Amino acid sequence: MTSKIEIQNVAKSYPTDSGSVLALAAANLSIKEGEFVSIVGPSGCGKSTLLYIVGGFLSADGDVLVDGRAITGPGTDRGIVFQEYALFPWLTVRQNIMFGLEQRSLSAQERKEITERLIGIIGLKGFEDRYPRELSGGMKQRVAIARTMACDPAILLLDEPFGALDSQTRELMQDELLRLWLDMRKTVLMVTHDVEEAVYLSNRICVMSARPGKIVEEFDIDLDRSIPREELMLSEPFNQLRNRVWLSVRQQAINAAEQHAG
Amino acid sequence: MPAKLPFRLMNWLWQMVPLLIFVVLWHLLSNSGLIDKAFLPEPREVFAALVDLLRGPQVVENLAITLFRSFTGLLLGAVAGVWIGLLMARSEVFRAYVTPIVGGTYSLPKSALIPLFILWFGIGSVTAICAVFLACLLPMIVNTYHGVNTTPKVLVWSAEAMGYSQRQMLTRIFLPHALPDIMTGLRIALGFSFVLAISSEMIASTNGIGKLIFMYGESGAYSYMFAAIACIVVAAFISDRIMLWLTHIWLIWHESAVSTETA
Amino acid sequence: MERTAPGAFGLHVRSVISVLVIVAAWEAAARLQLAPPLFLPPFSTVVLQLWDSTRDGTLPMDLAISLGRAFGGLFIATLIGVLAGIAMARNQLVNWLLDPFVALGFPSPKIAFLPVFIVWFGIYSLSKILLVAFACIFPIIIGTFSAARGINRSLIWSGYSMGASRLVMLSRIILPACCPRIFSAMRVALPVALITTFTAEMVAGGGGMGATLMYSQRFFESPVVFAYIVVMLAIGLLLDTAMVRIQRYIPATRT
Repeated sequence: MTSKIEIQNVAKSYPTDSGSVLALAAANLSIKEGEFVSIVGPSGCGKSTLLYIVGGFLSADGDVLVDGRAITGPGTDRGIVFQEYALFPWLTVRQNIMFGLEQRSLSAQERKEITERLIGIIGLKGFEDRYPRELSGGMKQRVAIARTMACDPAILLLDEPFGALDSQTRELMQDELLRLWLDMRKTVLMVTHDVEEAVYLSNRICVMSARPGKIVEEFDIDLDRSIPREELMLSEPFNQLRNRVWLSVRQQAINAAEQHAG
Repeated sequence: MPAKLPFRLMNWLWQMVPLLIFVVLWHLLSNSGLIDKAFLPEPREVFAALVDLLRGPQVVENLAITLFRSFTGLLLGAVAGVWIGLLMARSEVFRAYVTPIVGGTYSLPKSALIPLFILWFGIGSVTAICAVFLACLLPMIVNTYHGVNTTPKVLVWSAEAMGYSQRQMLTRIFLPHALPDIMTGLRIALGFSFVLAISSEMIASTNGIGKLIFMYGESGAYSYMFAAIACIVVAAFISDRIMLWLTHIWLIWHESAVSTETA
Repeated sequence: MERTAPGAFGLHVRSVISVLVIVAAWEAAARLQLAPPLFLPPFSTVVLQLWDSTRDGTLPMDLAISLGRAFGGLFIATLIGVLAGIAMARNQLVNWLLDPFVALGFPSPKIAFLPVFIVWFGIYSLSKILLVAFACIFPIIIGTFSAARGINRSLIWSGYSMGASRLVMLSRIILPACCPRIFSAMRVALPVALITTFTAEMVAGGGGMGATLMYSQRFFESPVVFAYIVVMLAIGLLLDTAMVRIQRYIPATRT
């Protein structure tokens, strides 16, 4: 099966006052359709940078192929959800979600229906006419996800989507995301610093080294996600996987600290 | 809510009391003999002059002319300024060539151009509107530029990922984001518009409230002079309040806006 | 896609090019008689006029008079404005008394009061200095007020607990803390001072740049008109640059 996303030798450097800094060393990754891949690693390793490159927002050396064709910039096939929600503050909840629908060739009636359905899915009925400043963090993130879903992208790019939320809200959102993914089977590429979250949600985890980032280890996650969260997260397989991934990331973090000290 | 209204009214009236104290002091001063009554007419006389002015066409016509000049120049300056500021923020080439012009005219007192405009356009509304236009241009450009420039990357990227073109983003993303800054600039420009309109009228004009004030001063009708000044002060104050109110309505979505109902 | 920034040198070059283009276009348009020489004297003629006016002393004297008035008024406005702003911020009664006047005065076009000042103080420097002070005092009061209101409470409380007298509080704690914002307000007030001075001189005469400017316009001496406008532009630029420099070298004025 050809991969949905093919990341080939992607590298990125930034010019600074003291010469250029290599943020990403050659990254190579193949993602199949319907996979949920998480990228974890120490802070500053470049995982978000890689995500932005796949999204087409940053230029880079190397190639990123989607469905076999190189990307040339941002596109509606790759929806993105940011940590900071990135809702348009001057639009209401409904208007924010509609914003994603406008570029699709749909009738006004269809747009209305899809918007109403999405508002229902994210559980914000009654809040359609609120502005983002009136919403809590969790609500804002739900709107952001709904807005991205409205474009019906084949690929979902998530940049630490729940990083700004408190742990309870985060767990609820993770469950919702899992439910959505199990339902729609989109290809997901997520960046997170939360190892447990990665193990809970993904079926593959890539561990990135410290800067310049390189994918150093991969883990296949094969968990039975039909059992309730309480059982799953306390189960032996989950903990084993979690420990292995955590150790791997920790090793990278230690390497990073040694690099700076040395 | 009916219960709130008397409170707000009372508060507003209480804040006006120092003005009453001022009028009383004024009355005492002008009657004290310390200053020639010709130079400082009593409040009573000024009030009588005011009533007389408002009854006749003098003030209304001239004020209307001044306001016309102000608001026309303001509107033109605002539209041009927003557009230029937007382009400056989005196009490096444009910015590079336009910045020195903008920076240079910043330091130029726009009223200094009034004699030049009189040379070119004669005395009258065109000169005044030109002066107002140029004065309003700058704060609008600077503020719009700042507002557009500070648009968070994540908003732009989100829109790009949703299939919006750069052109569409100008009006759908950058301009709305810059709206708070634009409103700030508009308030400043409003102040300038009055100053330039009146300056132009005082320097050389056949009509307008500036000309009226000047005329009363020259002919010694000092109570009328004070009355006319009071009119423009009130007009400017009301315009400013309306501007603040519009800002409040249009920026209801902004974090700084005070919500009247809880979420 | 990401944007790359042009180098600082590149921007400077483009700025110089812009200016040169304008000057060249001006000279060409004038020489080609695209507009009557009355409306648009050649750039070279204006430069010559500038030199003449400087040589015979009219320009330097006018400049000195105008700047004297502008700075005089600004000085008074700063003195009174800072004190008033601090008083309003620290004392409820003063705030209540002065607030309606500041609220009414700030949006109003102070130039409308020029005839009043002329009637009371004549057409020479006194009326203009006082009008400038009147015009500049509002932004300074408002800037100082917001600065004084925003002073970190712990600074004030430390002062009290160290037994500082009112005067010491004012001079050693409050004023220094407000300094950056006061300076910003002065940067705003400076162009106001210049505009008010020039406009007042244009309306009422009584010497100074504005008076000569109007006089020249009335007698259709375009080169003088243009020359004086160029000087006003240059002065404005120089003074603002000076203020920026001051901010750089005196940390107390920096935010």
